[in-house]
Amino acid sequence: MTMTSTAETAGSGARPEGTGRRKGTLFLRLGALAMFVLIMAWFAFTTRGFISPANIFNVIEQTAIMGVLSFGMAVVLIGGGTDVQTGGIDLSIAANTGLCAAVYATMLNGGWGDLASAAATLGTGIAVGLLNAVAVVRLGILPLLATLAVMNISAGLELTITENQVIGVSSPVTMVIATGRFLGLSMLAWIFILFSLAMIWAIHYSRTGLRLYAVGGHPEAARAAGINVGAYVAGTYAFSGFCAGFAAILLVARLSASTTATGQLLLAILAAALLGTVFSRRFVPTAGGTILSTLFIGFLANGFQLSNVSYYWVNGVQGVLILMVVAVTTFAKPQGK
Amino acid sequence: MNLSRAMPIEDRLRAVSNYAVIVALLLIVIGFAIAAPSFLTTANLYNLILNNVVMLAIVAIGMTIVVSSGGIDLSVGISVDMASMAFIMLLKAGVFVGVAMAAGIGAALLVGLINALLITRLKISPFLATLGILFIGQSVQKIASGGGKPVYLANAKYAPTFNAIVKSDVLGIPTPMLILAVIAVAVFVLLHRSVFGRYIRALGAQPGVAWYSGIRVQFHTSLVYIIAAGLCGVTGILLSSTVKSYVPLSGDAYLLDAIGACFIGTTISAQRRPSVIGTLIGVLLLAVTRNGLLLVGWNFYWQQVGIGVLVFAVLALSFGLRGRGH
Repeated sequence: MTMTSTAETAGSGARPEGTGRRKGTLFLRLGALAMFVLIMAWFAFTTRGFISPANIFNVIEQTAIMGVLSFGMAVVLIGGGTDVQTGGIDLSIAANTGLCAAVYATMLNGGWGDLASAAATLGTGIAVGLLNAVAVVRLGILPLLATLAVMNISAGLELTITENQVIGVSSPVTMVIATGRFLGLSMLAWIFILFSLAMIWAIHYSRTGLRLYAVGGHPEAARAAGINVGAYVAGTYAFSGFCAGFAAILLVARLSASTTATGQLLLAILAAALLGTVFSRRFVPTAGGTILSTLFIGFLANGFQLSNVSYYWVNGVQGVLILMVVAVTTFAKPQGK
Repeated sequence: MNLSRAMPIEDRLRAVSNYAVIVALLLIVIGFAIAAPSFLTTANLYNLILNNVVMLAIVAIGMTIVVSSGGIDLSVGISVDMASMAFIMLLKAGVFVGVAMAAGIGAALLVGLINALLITRLKISPFLATLGILFIGQSVQKIASGGGKPVYLANAKYAPTFNAIVKSDVLGIPTPMLILAVIAVAVFVLLHRSVFGRYIRALGAQPGVAWYSGIRVQFHTSLVYIIAAGLCGVTGILLSSTVKSYVPLSGDAYLLDAIGACFIGTTISAQRRPSVIGTLIGVLLLAVTRNGLLLVGWNFYWQQVGIGVLVFAVLALSFGLRGRGH
């Protein structure tokens, strides 16, 4: 029903911001939330242990890592614009995380201190991000092609460091991150909460965030308003690289090791960042939407595992969700620019 | 923005960059010929073309059609795998080889049809539509193969079938090479010498104008993705006949190489447009580099880094010298 009404208004084109469309998008946003609640409820009733506190905290801990990465991707999407073909995207973020995790684990095992290892890890992440930034801003390569090539480079470098082996790690800092608790909450949960708060402020309440939306929404207008568009776009890729490094530290701490399959996180990260756009009025990534969709995907994967549905299905279901969300938002968007 | 730029220098840079990839290919061949004595032997070149060039080239030619139309196909690996899966599983079930082959191509065409419907009917951007299909396809394969277990048909019963496909020759030309030649010529004519091709390239250059000119945008866009997937299906059959098995997710390896080859190929055209000949040069560049790195003793991990750097460099050259268009 909404599909047809939104499609009609989209088709008419000339009509600006009609009430029908606004109702349609409201329905869509509520619909996305309702779907979220319904799936959670279904898992809660059918799956033993899904709503136990231990399981919920387990999911939040897993989501902390995904959340950091989804924010990295969301910032790139905000700054690069909503055009999904020529707009901003960072396909290298997951491979970059794998590379950073390999650097962190190898340096810790090599006897470097916690501080030096963490600094080198964040430095690696930011360096890869800057490579993307140079490619996209300086050389003008399409983001999806530039980051695809960088993804391959990062994945290859990770393999040369780890030789495709799991590298076990233990250090005081990783122990604190993995097992520390404060006021009854685990360290990872705290990190996720604080990081989310910082991102909500940075994206929605700071000058930088406002300008970033301007850059993504209408680069020419932003440039005319005196914003250094190239610097902002470059900044988003550097930030995404920073997120990869930060997530890598959390990942290595949580698993007490670097793993070889980090590159496969890309789907979930993209799904989280893109699903997040349905929760916003203008279908742009927001902090709240990113947090909600990250939690949703985390609980979805967890629910599948607990209800003994094979893990092989999870990728497919997430793929279907992306397609659904993008199809629906495309219909709801006004046609033409 | 760049109206005041000095054009002649840019033009000269562009003209030079048109030949850069060909010069790079020659330099790489000469370099490897010196560094690895076994590189320029007949056996190695034969092996290089049969195992590295033919299958990638067919996928990359499919990608060229899609990129010409202004789209992109991230699900080429899925089309390859689906063809391979259907072909091998039906052969194992005792189905006649011709039927299994047709079913394999059919499975790939189905992937293309789904892509086409998502893009033309649901208006999902090609990038996200084919990304979604990539992940769904991976899931389907994991489910069908119990988590990624290969299906081997290595026993003697199937050897004649596979050999008839990949080890045979027609008038002295190995069959896979002949298949590639036929496909390359056919797509060249289709893309560069036919009305259909002109429509496709119009879609890529100016979709709005193409629509106003009365070109059936949805119909032609759909055909583009279906043809590309069908070509991937041919690679799927050749791949599974070469390795005598279906290895889940093995098609993924073609994605970056196909995109890389296609965009490397755009550097030979003054307007940076994709072309069949450019793509073939791109494939040669990638295949020769990979083969050469192997011969001089780089392991698989470093090869991946090397190829990534090469693709990055050529993209940088292609996009960087073009000037800041948009």
